[in-house]
Amino acid sequence: MSTHKTRSALTNTFPCVRCGLTVAAVAADGSRRNHCPSCLHSLHVLDRVEGGPSECGARMVPISIAVLRTGDWMIIHRCTRCAELTSNPICADDNQLILMRMAVRPLAQPPFPLETFGDL
Amino acid sequence: MGGHGRGKSGGRRPQRRKDVRHGEPGDAFRCVGCRLDVPVFAPGTAHRNHCPHCLTSLHVDHRVPGDRRASCRGRMAALSVSVRQDGEWLIIHHCQSCDGLSANRIAGDDNALALLRIAIRPLSDSALPTKVLLAL
Repeated sequence: MSTHKTRSALTNTFPCVRCGLTVAAVAADGSRRNHCPSCLHSLHVLDRVEGGPSECGARMVPISIAVLRTGDWMIIHRCTRCAELTSNPICADDNQLILMRMAVRPLAQPPFPLETFGDL
Repeated sequence: MGGHGRGKSGGRRPQRRKDVRHGEPGDAFRCVGCRLDVPVFAPGTAHRNHCPHCLTSLHVDHRVPGDRRASCRGRMAALSVSVRQDGEWLIIHHCQSCDGLSANRIAGDDNALALLRIAIRPLSDSALPTKVLLAL
């Protein structure tokens, strides 16, 4: 853990836990990155419920897209170990194919027929 | 969350049985969003936690569904819709007072129009990813 910390402090990068991509911790627009731009997976290092660092440290899977009132997209992540949910803003260089796939997935698997909404 | 936790089995959070409902006498609760009287018994789910009309919820559970350990009691608005690997829709609720998030399965009598409005929200605004869809 200490070697990982010193290495990431030196180069300011982190390896993605899922796809292994070496990701620069700071995005092009200067914001701090917390998920891989290629596969959008994240790491559970911050505790959202209690606040502060989390001792879980497991992989977090992107499960859905939320849209703020401002129109900005957020990625909802879910921890594979403790099932905690977090939301994070997307980056400009995030994989748009995966973002779009998550956005259309509810409409691809509707729990009710969508034909009736055509009349509205 | 079957397929999302890829390769992991049995990773589901334990759901406490809701035999005792603290602070909820009777078999109905009143929605904080639209004041509808909602019966707790819902078709398709044993854990009704949101109003079937406006999908608003109340922040009463902490980490485990049904534990009633949250001291927040804030209003939770439906933020987005997620789909499990088995096709079940989940509503992601966002607490308006403490910023917490929670996920709950939809019930059989949930307002389909309200659900659909949340589901198409990413696609309805003309943001950047639309050109990706056209390129496919």
